[in-house]
Amino acid sequence: MTTLPATPAAFADEHDVPIRYMQRTRDYYLALGYAPYRWAHFADAPFTPLRTPLSRARVGLVTTAAPFQPDAGDQGPGAPYNAAAKFYAVYSQPTDGAPDLRISHVGYDRAHTSARDINTYFPLARMKEAVAAGRIGSLAPRFHGTPTNRSHRTTLQVDVPELLRRCREDAVDAVVLVPT
Amino acid sequence: MGCAKDIVEHCGVPRFVFSDFPLGNSAGRPFDVESQAQTLELALRLLESAPAARTTVQSPQRWSEDASWKRDYLDLATLTPETIAERRREFDDAKAVARRRREAT
Repeated sequence: MTTLPATPAAFADEHDVPIRYMQRTRDYYLALGYAPYRWAHFADAPFTPLRTPLSRARVGLVTTAAPFQPDAGDQGPGAPYNAAAKFYAVYSQPTDGAPDLRISHVGYDRAHTSARDINTYFPLARMKEAVAAGRIGSLAPRFHGTPTNRSHRTTLQVDVPELLRRCREDAVDAVVLVPT
Repeated sequence: MGCAKDIVEHCGVPRFVFSDFPLGNSAGRPFDVESQAQTLELALRLLESAPAARTTVQSPQRWSEDASWKRDYLDLATLTPETIAERRREFDDAKAVARRRREAT
């Protein structure tokens, strides 16, 4: 009887790891001559267990996508970065429609993402199906959009408190946040 | 639900479904209802069962068998001095547009 030599495990490629966005962004903007951005960083994260079974819970949705604005230039699939399409205040729209939201104001991966399908960055349709299937009790009557403001102060002292206020008004049990 | 593992975990959130997809696909693959439904289902399970803050679950979905797409985002290897100058101009223009817009609202 012979023993077979150990077969080396077939490892994935070394570069096949979650992209280190903070490092890439820092290196890129340093190469362009800009000071690095300081990313949000907290020692503690809050946690509250879900107190209601999900099948009876009301769930909210928060996005960073922007409503399409006819006067703000190209916001379509494949549009280059569009600073004119940025928004600077929390907005809300009803969840019982089919909103037209875009991400042209965001630095997403334009080489590999067309942003042609809203459902990749705004899961309202799939959430409605989850409600219809009884997986979720109900959706909040409106969803909210939050600005992508580089100012920490504005985000923490203006936008987030407003977002929280609206979520509490909606009496949600939980919120799904889908940033882009 | 997100695609930037390091950024979200550096911040610290209660629960996080990480999809190892290009930015812009936090909720699943384009024109793939099953992918999107499965991504949402992971988020719902996290809502129900995460044991503590900073719980991350990575979606088992792969964007493609070939992971070479991961090299491309803000790839410094593509930066020539000319490109750097052009990108800097674009960035400054974008900041000016954003500032005017911000001041107008």
